[in-house]
Amino acid sequence: MTRRFGLRAAGLWVVAGLLVSVWVFPVLWGLLTSFKTERDVLAYPPLFVFEPTLANYREVLFGTSTILPNLLSSMIVASGSTLLTLLIAVPAAYGLARLRFPGRKATGFYVLATQMLPPVGLIIPYYLVMQKAGLLDTYTGLITIYLTFSLPFAVWLMVSYFEDVPYEMEEAALLDRAGRLRTLWYVILPQVRGGIAVTTVFVFLNAWNEFLFAVVLGGNKVRPVTVAMFNFISVEQTQWARLAAGAMLAMAPVIVIGLAAQRHIVKGLTVGAVKGGGRR
Amino acid sequence: MRGSAHVHMQGIVKRHGAFTALHGIDLVIEPGEFFALLGPSGSGKTTTLRILAGLEDVNAGQVWIDGQDVTHAEPGARDVAMVFQSYALYPHMTVAENIGFPLKMIGTPASDVGRQVKDAAARVAIDHLLDRRPGQLSGGQQQRCALARAIVRQPRLFLLDEPLSNLDAKLRLETRAELRKLQRSLGVTAVYVTHDQEEAMTIADRMAIFMDGRIVQVGTPHEIFRRPATATVAAFIGTPPMNLLPATLQAGWVHVAGKSMPVIFPKGTAREVTLGIRPGDLRLADDGIAARVEFVEDFGDSSIVNLEVAGQRVKLRAGELPAVREGDDVHLTFEPTAAHLFDRADGRRI
Repeated sequence: MTRRFGLRAAGLWVVAGLLVSVWVFPVLWGLLTSFKTERDVLAYPPLFVFEPTLANYREVLFGTSTILPNLLSSMIVASGSTLLTLLIAVPAAYGLARLRFPGRKATGFYVLATQMLPPVGLIIPYYLVMQKAGLLDTYTGLITIYLTFSLPFAVWLMVSYFEDVPYEMEEAALLDRAGRLRTLWYVILPQVRGGIAVTTVFVFLNAWNEFLFAVVLGGNKVRPVTVAMFNFISVEQTQWARLAAGAMLAMAPVIVIGLAAQRHIVKGLTVGAVKGGGRR
Repeated sequence: MRGSAHVHMQGIVKRHGAFTALHGIDLVIEPGEFFALLGPSGSGKTTTLRILAGLEDVNAGQVWIDGQDVTHAEPGARDVAMVFQSYALYPHMTVAENIGFPLKMIGTPASDVGRQVKDAAARVAIDHLLDRRPGQLSGGQQQRCALARAIVRQPRLFLLDEPLSNLDAKLRLETRAELRKLQRSLGVTAVYVTHDQEEAMTIADRMAIFMDGRIVQVGTPHEIFRRPATATVAAFIGTPPMNLLPATLQAGWVHVAGKSMPVIFPKGTAREVTLGIRPGDLRLADDGIAARVEFVEDFGDSSIVNLEVAGQRVKLRAGELPAVREGDDVHLTFEPTAAHLFDRADGRRI
């Protein structure tokens, strides 16, 4: 290794370290806080060495203010919207990428256009619609609303994956008597499974992390964990340690999924940047 | 084998928007024939093949396979197999799964699939690679895998779209011969698209020459080489292709570059023509058309002398290296029977 390369690598490490620490610090601080007593949390100067306790976790999991039902609620909403999104987006994206039909371009643009609205602007109309339909505080209602955001996103992501599959491969399958559906199933889908993985992760995490619509359109029955966090913040006081423990539990699936799918996600974000570039 | 198909295409017109890719193609391919569609890129040969496969619609005209009108039949309903230029192997399947895929799709029992896959793989000598994936194969092996996938179903018609163009030169020559042998042993009708005239000449029983969306000549390689129908065909066929020079034809003589040479053609009024002479038919002589030597290419067993005649490049093929050097002034002659004459206006053979 040359001296110049060594310096360069060191520089990169420093810059990367600084950037990462900005993201990692709050998470680590939250993790520390979740093991402190309320008294230690408020100590000043902040304590780095303290006697750790699991009391906060015991409380948020099994105490009076348990978030277990909310974790379940989040799981239902996130899994439900992910499953439905994939069921609709994958065939839709295939159609947009491959089939020739009148209005194909317009359809593509329409799908994209729905992404151009700021979500906050939709809260009141959505609330009114859900109220009229009797879908406030129901899983059906919240999942439907999440679909309106995740579907366009998923369709556009999947289109770029389908476009990467060479036409000739599909034609070969058609000549091999596979027909449209079996071509899709046996030849095309296995080649876009990376894209399906990325889409699943993105859609699931977006739904899991969503707060705004959950707080407005949810209620006592449908109360995802992001909303439930607020149980620990009241007018008189904020229970920082419990809040931190709850946040850690809510974050756990996100971090696990993120780490597991890291490789796919990076690939997913760069797809289309190198058209047809060595993905075979 | 389940026999070989008779192909008949009539009046095929294909348009892409305002652009007409095919202006009425008529073609008959006999059962068991190895038939090449030859032409420069963009001449419509691949489009014709894809129409035959059912991968493209037609704007007009009809296609029959074995007397059955398949003009609007789905690709899968035509009982044809195709080898694509890119091979189009399924990257997530092993070689065995790739070759077995067409069998699986027509519901062949699993026990038969294994045996037929082995047979097809053995025919193209890749039966030791059945567990590999396409990504682990060399270009030549991938090509064989694509061939095996095409023959495993025993189709009546075998379509090949520039199957050798992705192979290196040496492998291409070997595979060319093997492909011919394979087609012969299967007895299947094969339609072969290529832009390489040498490839078509050596592999095909008959061929059709495409130019600008039209078929300009159909015949055996020998016929087309001997009697090209137009000056464009003449300029396309042969290695190197025919020399073409502007000339005037009059009373059994052709006047070219200020010299009159005898030719065997009907006498008549003078007309503007293009004179065509194959490089192998030109000879150096003491008297004849004046030329200047530009450079000589020596291939060991033969050589090509590049000459300049009245501002045009002319090539002469000689068996032995002639005793000429760059810048020498020489004279060229040819036998009266070796001359090809084409009408200067429409390019047709006279």
